[in-house]
Amino acid sequence: MDRKEYQRLRTVVVLFVGAIVGLAVIRDSYLLATAGVLTGMVFMVLARAKAKIRADERESTIQGKAARMTYAIFAPTIALTAFFLLLPSRGGISVFSQGEWLFTEALGMIFAYLTLFLIVIYAIAYHFFNKKYGGGGDEK
Amino acid sequence: MKNKRSLFLSDENPSLRNKLKVYRAMRDLTQEQLADKIGVSRQTVIAIESDKYLPSLKLAFKIAKLFKVKIEEVFAYDQKEDENES
Repeated sequence: MDRKEYQRLRTVVVLFVGAIVGLAVIRDSYLLATAGVLTGMVFMVLARAKAKIRADERESTIQGKAARMTYAIFAPTIALTAFFLLLPSRGGISVFSQGEWLFTEALGMIFAYLTLFLIVIYAIAYHFFNKKYGGGGDEK
Repeated sequence: MKNKRSLFLSDENPSLRNKLKVYRAMRDLTQEQLADKIGVSRQTVIAIESDKYLPSLKLAFKIAKLFKVKIEEVFAYDQKEDENES
């Protein structure tokens, strides 16, 4: 199996998993969703092993840059969203602290913790890789 | 525009040139064959040949070793061009 066939297969698996999850949402079945996702994951692992897909250094560089850009865009976006969702309820605007607007505060809190979680994960990963690649050590 | 800087590949460096295409042609190797020999994808070979991607030192040594030449014979650093840019 070459790379193109693998990519085609991946598209089919993604569509399949999407359809299963969609069906699971309609039927309100957690089991079906879990089974669909797990099946897709197992299938992809097996296909990848068979295809012997080579992840070379250029691909790693691109993945690193894409991850950095995702972080740079995603973190401020959800932080600002959290801020604007929390602002009305914290600012004493009573209409946002009751009834159907109550969810904005909960959503804001979720986004705020998500931002913190993201930053913590980034910091831990940075620390780990910095140590791995020789940073932070004293000169001997 | 050849020296246009890319937003996504900011380490694209026109002061580093390589003769990979020449050496590959001399050995009568296809991009696919070369990629297999040095353990990268064909896209990586294409990117190196067109100066869109700078290989790591390890890969550069691997390429030089494959062609049985010194690394600086395949990869050349043009200091003047680098100074003109900065």
